[in-house]
This record gives sequence, structure tokens and C-alpha cells, in this order.
Amino acid sequence: MKKPTLGAVVREESSLFVALPALVWQLLLFYLPIGFVIGMSISYVPYYTNIFNLLHFKIIGRSLMLALITSILCLACAYPVAYYLALQIKRYKNIWLFFLMLPFWTSFLVLAYAWFFVLDNYGLINMLLMKLHIIKQPLYLLNTPFAVYMVMLYCYVPFMILPIYTVLEKLDKRLLEASRDLGATKWQTWTNVTLPLSYPGIRTGFLLVFVPSFGELAIPVLMGGGRNFYVGNLISYYYLVAQDSMAGAIFTCLSGVVLLVATLFVNWWFARQRV
Amino acid sequence: MRSIRLENVTKFFDGEPIIENLNLTIEGGKFFALLGPSGSGKTTLLRLIAGFEQPDSGSIYLGEQDITHLPINERRINTVFQHYALFPHLNVFDNVAYGLHIRGIAQPVVQEKVIKILRRMRLEKQIYKPIGQLSGGQQQRVALARAIINEPAVLLLDEPLAALDLKLREQMLIELIDLQYDLNTTFVYVTHDQFEALTVADYMAIMNPHGEIAQIDAPRKVYEFPRTTFVAKFIGNTNLFKGMLQIKDERSTIAIEHLGDCIVSKPDLPWARDGAHIYMSLRPEKIYLSKKVLQGFDNHIEGTVETIVYHGRSTQYNIRVHEDLKMQVFEQNEEHFEKEVVDYDDRVHLYWHKRDVVLLEK
Repeated sequence: MKKPTLGAVVREESSLFVALPALVWQLLLFYLPIGFVIGMSISYVPYYTNIFNLLHFKIIGRSLMLALITSILCLACAYPVAYYLALQIKRYKNIWLFFLMLPFWTSFLVLAYAWFFVLDNYGLINMLLMKLHIIKQPLYLLNTPFAVYMVMLYCYVPFMILPIYTVLEKLDKRLLEASRDLGATKWQTWTNVTLPLSYPGIRTGFLLVFVPSFGELAIPVLMGGGRNFYVGNLISYYYLVAQDSMAGAIFTCLSGVVLLVATLFVNWWFARQRV
Repeated sequence: MRSIRLENVTKFFDGEPIIENLNLTIEGGKFFALLGPSGSGKTTLLRLIAGFEQPDSGSIYLGEQDITHLPINERRINTVFQHYALFPHLNVFDNVAYGLHIRGIAQPVVQEKVIKILRRMRLEKQIYKPIGQLSGGQQQRVALARAIINEPAVLLLDEPLAALDLKLREQMLIELIDLQYDLNTTFVYVTHDQFEALTVADYMAIMNPHGEIAQIDAPRKVYEFPRTTFVAKFIGNTNLFKGMLQIKDERSTIAIEHLGDCIVSKPDLPWARDGAHIYMSLRPEKIYLSKKVLQGFDNHIEGTVETIVYHGRSTQYNIRVHEDLKMQVFEQNEEHFEKEVVDYDDRVHLYWHKRDVVLLEK
């Protein structure tokens, strides 16, 4: 038997070699630090019983609500868009998709700031409503939950559109014809075939929106006037302002656990839908 | 048991007519096959009947009811799709129950009907299996069960066996014939495979590449008496020659270049006049091949064996009759050992009766 040459070995293991830089990067910059954080938080929990107070749970609850409402709003807005794009438009789909995604080449912060000009007392919405004589006094829109959710929705909606679009695009259109053929109306076809078959896309989109919006700190502060604390703010407060890295670590882990539970719940719920 | 009638149906795609002014009546309670080459518009025709496409003009009737603009779900027509189109998120039971479930039929009735039909399809062991775990033949039977459980007036089958292997296909064809006989439902079977069409059909329509119906007849009639050269060439193999017809009182012939005058039966057709340029079709299996000189045939010609293709039950010979003319001959391999061995480059005689020649206008 011939001894394998070095070249052959490299070719054999090439997939590992190619993946190596990314693996090392992830190991050093993600798993190692997170290990420290977890280790730190576990060893310090006994001394930080005062962390488990009502205020902190309120903040976690508020973040959960923010993430949940954002996800639901995104789903409500994204599904029709994805459906229309995937099933109704026949030509130039990629161009439509390109224009849909174009605004998101801009940074999140710039996008958020742009909304000031829309929601301001003398911004676009108020000017329009006053010009149309629908209102006399400008509405107070900035620094309200409404502003927060509007901008959250605006910034996160593409993460919901893309996975749903991908699933619907790949959907075998003959299944829809088969359903109609078997006596189903368009609506029955949607509820019995299209919707169940788009669950994988909805689930992915839900998690892509839910997870980052749970930890979102910029948008609630900018648009909500910084009056309400969210998990993201809490962690950055303990790390950067209070210089209490132990509390920061504990909250990082705690929010991680909350997210894990939420993710598992979402997965479980969607798995249950497949009868 | 209701018939389908298409009146002056025209359908365009991207400005190109796929079907133009088509008239067709499909009798109720029969097994009807629609045969045509790829792109002849046969699938479009099926989709028009099912309602997936709307005709640009013309009308479609189911019995006496005009269904041209009736929504898909309100037509008493069900389809077995080419690649089955089974719902991947439902198991066998729920796929078959889909139509009943949509119509809001009570669960015990659904249960009973589904079980009964799955037993008929020999799928009782697969009832709760997901679709992905079934073989091609099983998926095919689920697709059939899902369609016929709704007791449609017409069942459309769009190349339903294309994805199955030969043995399974032959078996499914027999099952389909039995099923149609039991249900007495109108079956419309679309295929490009002449073997399938000839096997199942009570009668069949052949579509030409221009979306026109070239002939409607029983399979035997279509094969033995094709009406156009297209049908003669499309169904089976044939030797097709162009020549001039000469009609005399005692003897009619067709003069074919390099073949000479062939004796034919006196034609009884308006276009078959003396001196007309027409076609002659002669099926390869109607020709008798021998190295000996034989009597009792109307026509005789000599040639050289160029190729021999052994098919098992028959052997195909390509005979060079002239530099520019070849003829194809099929001989049944009736006996275990051939009486006379015919080999490459042998001189052979070809014989045929005038009754086996079909004359065609175009």
C-alpha cells in the first residue's frame, strides 16, 4: 500500500482546514469569554441575592414583551409581503427583493434617527395630519411606546420577510392546485396547506427577530426617551456605568437562560403544529 | 358518468396559441386517453378541464353544465397529478381524507371511507405513515385514493405513471383499468407514452404538435387505420412512402420511387383519385421476410439485410431495398430455433398483402 502524500492528507482534511480560522475565531472570541462570564456569574450568585428583586424581573419582563410584540408585528407585516413576492409576482423577483432590502444597507442607528423626522412634533406624520385637518394640535409621538415599536418593526422586518419568502418560494405550487382541486377554497388552501408549510420560515423569522430584539438597547433608548430600562440597558449599565462586572455577568447569563427557554418554547410550539 | 365537451376552445400562452378552436367530446363512463408528443398542448387541455387555466375563448361543459368559469373547487372533477402533489405535512390518512375534511364531513364517516379506500388500494399498513416514507408506487396509490374518495364525475390523470419503473407501470395500468370499470367514472388519461394509452383506453385522441386533434378512435382502430401520416408515425413504427395512385378497374397500384408499383386495395375515399400523390403506410410486422421464393402475396420485393435488432419476442430487420430506400420488418420469434437463419448482408425477399397497406392523404 502506498503511503498517502501530504497533499492527499490536506485534500482529505481540507474541509477542516478551511473551517479552522472561523473555528478558532469563534472559540477564542465567543466561547471562551462566554465561559468566563458563565463561570463568574455562577460563582458570584450567592453574594448577589439582592439581584433577584422585583425591579430586575420587571425589566426582563419588559424586554420579553418588547421582543414578543416586535416579533408578532413583524410577522403580521412580513407574511403578506413575502407571500405576495413569492407567489404573486412572476417576473423580476430579485429586483423587487433588492429594493425591499436596499434601506437596510444603512446602519441601524441612522435608520432609527431618520424616524425622528417622521415622528417629531413638526415631523412628517404630524404635518400631514394637520394639513389634512384631521388634528389641530401635533400628536406627541416621540418618546412613546408607539415610536419604539414603529422603529423596532421597521428595523427588524427584513429578518422576518427573508426566511418566509425563501420557504414560500420553494413551496411546490402544485400542492396549492391539488388543494383547490380537492374542493378547498383559496382561504381553506391557505389555512390547510400554505400556512402549515410556511411554519419553518415563520419559526426561523420569529427567532431571528425575537432573539436580537430581546437584547436591543439602542432603539428603546432613542425612541422611548430612555425612560424605560430594558435588559440590554441593564447589562450595559452594570458593566459600563456601575462598573459591576459581576452583576453584568449574572444578567448576561440570566437573559441567555430566558432566551433559551423562549427559543425552546417556540420550537416546541411549531413542532406541535405538525400533526 | 357525465361527459365533457369542449367547444371552440382557444388558449394562448405569451401570445402563442397552444390550442386553437378545439372541439372535443369525451364520453361519460369511458376510459379516455389523450396522447400526444411533448408540447402538443395535452397538459394544457387537462388544466383547462380541471380549471387551473381559463380558456381565452370557447366553452367547456360537464354534462349539460357550463363549467368554463366555475372555480376549481366547485367542479366535480379531481386530478391525479404527474408527481402526485401529495401534502408533505400530512400523513397518508390525512392526505386521503383532505377532500372530505374540507367539505366538513363527520369524522366517523371520514374514518370509515378512508379506511375502506386504503384497503382497496392495499395501503392498510401505511395508513399513519408520513408521505416521505412511501415508495413511488405507494405514493401513486395514495394520490389515486385522495382523488377518487371524492367520487368525482370525471377523474383526470396527468401522466400518472411517468415516475414508475416498467414492471410497476404495467401493474398499475391493469389496476387503473379495473378501477375505472368498478367506479364507472369518466377517466381522462393524458400521456406521451403510446404503450400506456393503447393499454388502458376505451378510445383515444391523438394530438399533433400544433395542438390539433389528429384522430379519435379505439386504440385498435388508431393503430391499424391511422388517418394521417402523423398518427401512423407517432403510434408504433411504420414504413411510410409517398407515391402516385393509379386506379384501374382490375388493379390499383401506387407508384413509389425505388420501390416500383405496389398493389393496393381499391380505395373508397374522395381524395384517392387516379393520379393523386398520396402516402402509403405499411406496418413492419405486416411484412413477411424469407430467403425463399413464396407464392400467395400481392407484393414482393428483394433487399439486403443491413441491421438486425433482437428484441426478445420479436426481431427487427432493416432491409436495404435501394440505395435511397430502407424498409423495417418485425418478425415474431415464434419458435425456439429459427427455421432459417437470416444474417447480415443476406439477400431476402419481403412479401405483404394489399389489405395491410393503409393509404393516407397527408
